[in-house]
Amino acid sequence: MNVLSEIKKSENKTVSRQSRFRTSVFQNMPVIGLMLLLLLVACSALMLGTVSLSLEQLQSILLGEGDPLLQFMVVEIRLPRVLSAIVTGAGFALAGLLMQILARNRLATPSIIGIDSASTTFVVIGLTAGWAIAPHWLALLGAFVTASLILVVARGTGTQGHRFIITGLGIGAIASAMTQLVLSRTNIDFVNQAFAWTVGSLNTPSVEALKIASVGILISFIITLFFRRTLQIMQFSDARAIVLGCSIDKMRLFCLVLSVVTTALAVSVVGPVGFISLLGPEVARRLLGQHKIPLLATCLVGSIFMILADLIGRTAFAPLELPVGMVTAIVGSPYLLWLLTRQPKGSI
Amino acid sequence: MRLLLSLCLLLVMLFASMLIGSGNVPFVDALAALGNQGSETARFVVWELRFSRTLMALVVGVCLAVAGALMQTLTKNPLAEPGLMGVSAGSAFAIGLAILFGAGAADLSVWPAQIGALVGCLLVIWISQTQNLANDPVRLVLTGATLSALLLSSTAIILMLDDRVADEIRFWIMGSVAGRNVNTLYHVMPSLVIAGLIVAVFIRPLASIGLGETVAVGLGHNPNKIRMVIIIAVALLVGAATAVAGPLIFVGLVVPFTARAIAGTDIRRYLWQCLLLGPCLLVFADIICRVIVPPSELPVGVLTTLIGAPVLLFLVHTKRIPRL
Amino acid sequence: MKFSLYLSRVIGFIFHTVLLAVSLGFVSPLWAENRLVQTQYGQIDVPEGIKRVVTLHEGALDAAVALGIEPLGAIATRGGKGVATYLADSVPEITIVGTAREINIEAILALRPDLILASPTMQKRQYNLLSKLAPTIVPAVKLLSKDAWKNNSRVYAQALGKSVELEKILINLDQRITSTKNQLGQEGLTATLVRWTPQGPLLMSPDINSAQILAQVGFQLKGKEAIKAGRPHSDPLSQENLNLINAQWLFLSSVNQDGNKALQTAKLSPAFTRLEAVKNNRVIVVDGQLWTSSSGPLSAKAILDDLQQQVLSTQKPN
Repeated sequence: MNVLSEIKKSENKTVSRQSRFRTSVFQNMPVIGLMLLLLLVACSALMLGTVSLSLEQLQSILLGEGDPLLQFMVVEIRLPRVLSAIVTGAGFALAGLLMQILARNRLATPSIIGIDSASTTFVVIGLTAGWAIAPHWLALLGAFVTASLILVVARGTGTQGHRFIITGLGIGAIASAMTQLVLSRTNIDFVNQAFAWTVGSLNTPSVEALKIASVGILISFIITLFFRRTLQIMQFSDARAIVLGCSIDKMRLFCLVLSVVTTALAVSVVGPVGFISLLGPEVARRLLGQHKIPLLATCLVGSIFMILADLIGRTAFAPLELPVGMVTAIVGSPYLLWLLTRQPKGSI
Repeated sequence: MRLLLSLCLLLVMLFASMLIGSGNVPFVDALAALGNQGSETARFVVWELRFSRTLMALVVGVCLAVAGALMQTLTKNPLAEPGLMGVSAGSAFAIGLAILFGAGAADLSVWPAQIGALVGCLLVIWISQTQNLANDPVRLVLTGATLSALLLSSTAIILMLDDRVADEIRFWIMGSVAGRNVNTLYHVMPSLVIAGLIVAVFIRPLASIGLGETVAVGLGHNPNKIRMVIIIAVALLVGAATAVAGPLIFVGLVVPFTARAIAGTDIRRYLWQCLLLGPCLLVFADIICRVIVPPSELPVGVLTTLIGAPVLLFLVHTKRIPRL
Repeated sequence: MKFSLYLSRVIGFIFHTVLLAVSLGFVSPLWAENRLVQTQYGQIDVPEGIKRVVTLHEGALDAAVALGIEPLGAIATRGGKGVATYLADSVPEITIVGTAREINIEAILALRPDLILASPTMQKRQYNLLSKLAPTIVPAVKLLSKDAWKNNSRVYAQALGKSVELEKILINLDQRITSTKNQLGQEGLTATLVRWTPQGPLLMSPDINSAQILAQVGFQLKGKEAIKAGRPHSDPLSQENLNLINAQWLFLSSVNQDGNKALQTAKLSPAFTRLEAVKNNRVIVVDGQLWTSSSGPLSAKAILDDLQQQVLSTQKPN
């Protein structure tokens, strides 16, 4: 910890107080902007849909007035969706950020290493076998089993996380094959029931799961916030981090556990919508620069993307709904491709 | 000697494939039917049903194994595999589109699959060329995986929008040689012949590329030309395989890997092993699929994934891949 | 005017007393005209004067239409974009509010229903939301039980206050079944009902609605052993096991409406052409929407029409 305070001191020396205040405002501009954007997007998600509302209508509904049916629509149908989107979007993005840091690779996100598809496999198997365990606990179990498996097979995360990623890819493939296998052997009505779990959907999210996830993701956010400076050191090379007094291995394991738990919590509400975990941190970094860990911005971007994807999903082909997971896959994978081809060598 | 062993293994597999199935034709009857004796039903099951699917598994196995070997030599990357690289997914997407526009899965022409495979192949190669990704195994694999994910989710949306397509394609997309029309084999023959000729002519130049571009140039070859031609061969092979059996991943990874372990890293040697081991793997997987859940069957793609992915994990675990 | 009101009250009183006496012996949904409907999620009180009905189950739509009610919204039939073809003309202005897979609650809300008729398989979570919109009827009938479609229709009819009308329709249908049976004239004709998919035929369970009707008109349905308990159909059968669907008559459908295309596809398979029914030209191509996913009185009627037109006409030349 005294290393950190030294860093702080040196900052204090070089920068005068007034200009520090200015830079902090300047640096936080994007975050404030994102917050406003989130508010804007959330409001439009509450307004738009099969029945669209005007701003005045929304206002009166939120004040508890107006048509009870419209009130029902906003409060009981759209609000849970938007809240779930905010919570899970932030959760996925946070999990992605953590994993990127621990594997020191921007591509190492829970979705790419197959954590969310494995959670889905567990849920689908559990539902088919009629286990008396709630789906969100199964998701958590699946995430943990997979993460441990990957760690064992890949023998740790490696220096650049490459082995870790390829291992995850393989395990993800096995998980998807298992899901397909199970689904191909059940009847169509069950496939319909499990459908949301296989692609990721925000159609009537479970309120109980949402409550658990909100608390859990908030806690992991706070923990991450607490360890922010340590995480920043972890981005450097191992040697440098050790010199700076950071116990790398313990910290990595800790990050991994935190990331896996957060992913599982988000999956337990919406199913596998993993691309958010890549998009969130990426966009946040682009906005704030590469040098620091954009914790809050990552979560905000994740939430915004999630709300937007769900909004597109439920309005584009109305009255049919496109699940949010499909929307993010269609938007997210071209971005990932672009990232893979355009980024200079060695940055990934 | 090793080739002979592989050949024996293949023959055993082929025999087993004729004798074992999900139906209630006893082993002895099937044996009699092989000699054109025994009951009419047994002869029908053995010669009409099992023979055609064995033939298809044979062809598909050869295609995918050879395509995998070619791609890996070309990119010098042991993980470059048509299934992982999005070539099969391109093929599947094209077929999804074709079915959406009214084609039926059973009497589907092979062209959508061929064109899809070619486009997928070119995309991967183009991407790897733009940033010289070929030298970066991880990025190449990730690019392929992402491309696959993109194409597969596009296919999934097509499925969502149209239940009929979903019904026709659901099984196909997992990969299977059961109940496919054996005529598809005749349709893909031209592709196979062309690809075979390409491989026969260009195997030496390709091997020289495997040693490094300077070697290839020194021997008087034009690397770009060779690359282009080999890509076409890969596309033809994968397109043919996908048209017959649907997108199968990991076959092109497992077989060349095993072949190299047996016959060394020179493609001129291990390609022969691929020719024999590819069908072995697919026929074996198909036999398992038939007997595991009677009276139904599993799609063979599930089996190849369950066999193949652990091999990938093993490769990674034993650090056989450079720069990982 | 006043007198008639008085009279109706007296009659109502007598009726209820009788009802009470009868219901001491057994509870019959038929007479429970007080619109307290027993459902899977408890007793639902349906108010008088229902006008805006939304159906979230193909059988509910069928029953409602049969009882002369035009629902405002319904889910799309499996494999189609609108409601099943045999119903489409009766409800030209219906709004589609989703599929069996994903229901669009906002679209339902936009219709401002005062009664929702849902599928017996509706999940509690969705029920909780919908029941806040309008009384939501989720029949407590097991889908593959005997006469499931009749019992389902009874629950829907009760909610709509039209139990008496429904019973009349059901009696007519029973008569129709008996007459069809007589026309067929033969007991113990074996048959299978199959949905052809590219991965192999699905043998439909003898417990689905259309198969129950087939049994009632005298067909003996084969192949139950290939279907796991509680499933509406088998897993896709291997080509080597097509003998499981071998019977004198083969009813062939596909998921979509175009059964003839399914037949063409099926004929590409050599194992299919070896079947007895195919050799003897006893394959009846049927509409998959009607035969494998719909239920209800109108569906039963349409199935009987199909049987009469196709089976009897095929039988004559022989």
